[in-house]
Amino acid sequence: MLTAFLISVGVLCAINTLLALLMVLAEATIGNYGSVRVTLNGRRELTVDGGKPLLAALKEHNVFIPSACGGRGSCGLCKLTVENGGAPLSTELPWLSPEEQAAGVRLSCQLKVKRPLRITVPEEWLSVRQFAARVAALRDLTYDIKEVRLQLIDPPTIDFKAGQFIQFEVPPYALSDEPVYRAYSIASDPRQRGEIELEIRYVPNGICTTYVHRHLKEGDPVAFNGPYGNFYLRESDRDILFVAGGSGMAPIKAMLHQMAHEQNPRRTLYIFGARARRDLFLLEEMREFERRLPRFRFVPTLSAPAPNDGWTGATGLVTDVVEREVSEVSALEAYLCGSPLMIDACVNLLKKKGLPEERIFYDKFA
Amino acid sequence: MKQTPQLEAIQRAMQPGAITAEGFLGADPRPLGDILIADEAAVRRLGLSHARIAGRMRELAAAGSRGLGLPTAVPPHFEVAVESVRGKLPCPFGHAGVYPKTNVVVRNLASGRQIVFTDLNIHLIAAHGFYEGLGSPFRCDPATLAEILEIAPEPPEAPAAAAGAL
Repeated sequence: MLTAFLISVGVLCAINTLLALLMVLAEATIGNYGSVRVTLNGRRELTVDGGKPLLAALKEHNVFIPSACGGRGSCGLCKLTVENGGAPLSTELPWLSPEEQAAGVRLSCQLKVKRPLRITVPEEWLSVRQFAARVAALRDLTYDIKEVRLQLIDPPTIDFKAGQFIQFEVPPYALSDEPVYRAYSIASDPRQRGEIELEIRYVPNGICTTYVHRHLKEGDPVAFNGPYGNFYLRESDRDILFVAGGSGMAPIKAMLHQMAHEQNPRRTLYIFGARARRDLFLLEEMREFERRLPRFRFVPTLSAPAPNDGWTGATGLVTDVVEREVSEVSALEAYLCGSPLMIDACVNLLKKKGLPEERIFYDKFA
Repeated sequence: MKQTPQLEAIQRAMQPGAITAEGFLGADPRPLGDILIADEAAVRRLGLSHARIAGRMRELAAAGSRGLGLPTAVPPHFEVAVESVRGKLPCPFGHAGVYPKTNVVVRNLASGRQIVFTDLNIHLIAAHGFYEGLGSPFRCDPATLAEILEIAPEPPEAPAAAAGAL
């Protein structure tokens, strides 16, 4: 009886060991796709490790695709056209319109490279680079917005268009076991190529903003990649309307630096929305831009000034000020940066006033 | 509740690193089915329903959105800010569509207490009775929601009219 029991246990153990071995073998053979060729824009051949998500495989070759979620398929930014990528996964479907699906667009974080692929990447992304930097300075702009100044180390300079953004890498720390990337607009002067400034607002429970506000120190090494984005000043003679709120100040400030250097003569109105006096920042810098750009006017507006603010400026939401200040739109271009609610409300209002949608440019935090 | 294979799959999607870096369960070691049962019971003890709680959250979020991202006063004594961050999240239960990463910050000025919830929280409560696991950063405890958002218990159902009554 005992012998039969021991034999049964032995047989079971042997079967388990065999199955485990088979799994290891399968992982090493079936799951091993070896090196796979990826053809980029029909002219550049990359050899990548098969089995990896396309986003990660491209990053190893210094091809950076925008992604704000670190490859979880939750930001929908890393779309690429893949000629022979097959049908999208169910995790991608919420992000892809029927037209995109028909055109072979895939989320590169969800597509694993298992066979040779032919992909199309927007040309401007090919100039995106990875940067090593050091925190040169941290400054509280308000109680919940921090200015982060990064000195570039490798490479030591960056070229970007005022209005573009970078992806800041948050290393693993208490709130995250893995690196996380978040997109932030560059606030600094594009001519100041050796460093960049970011304006980062604290978001409750936010992995990156908690890291920046509670953990990041001057002198810390950091990494980011960029620049990205098509939110930049278009060349024209039209009047300019800037509208922003909170950290939406950042790309507009970069554009103002550019305009000041170019002595841009375009008539420009900048409406900045905040709740109370304590939410306003960089007022002196804006007044300095008014001195340097004679046709530039800065109008901060408070939606709920505190009784002791002593506020005598504009009040109401940014849309109230747009309603009051903007009457003629035939020679106007609008640049908006802030919350989706603010942008949607402004776009609707400007369209109602007759401004064609193609002359409204925005950077939505969405 | 029996932990079905479907619930197992959903619970995997709720782990850190799957949909969000921190996941939906916090340090809660319980099976998803048990979490749902416990919160269902808590909601009943409060005399509420998931629909009523989600409805109140939706109502305050809609009122707060009139501030276009800035905190705005909502009668009788709330201050609500609807803040958006980049990105959208899918429902871990597999519902179609994605939910914007919108934080609704509600401050009850009478009690001085505050709670933060998201568009996805509202959906998870309304559609699945899921309030997230204990210790999850976006856990919306039913009793805390009821207290801060001042959600009154369901009115008792009127007795059904007798059949055949005129």
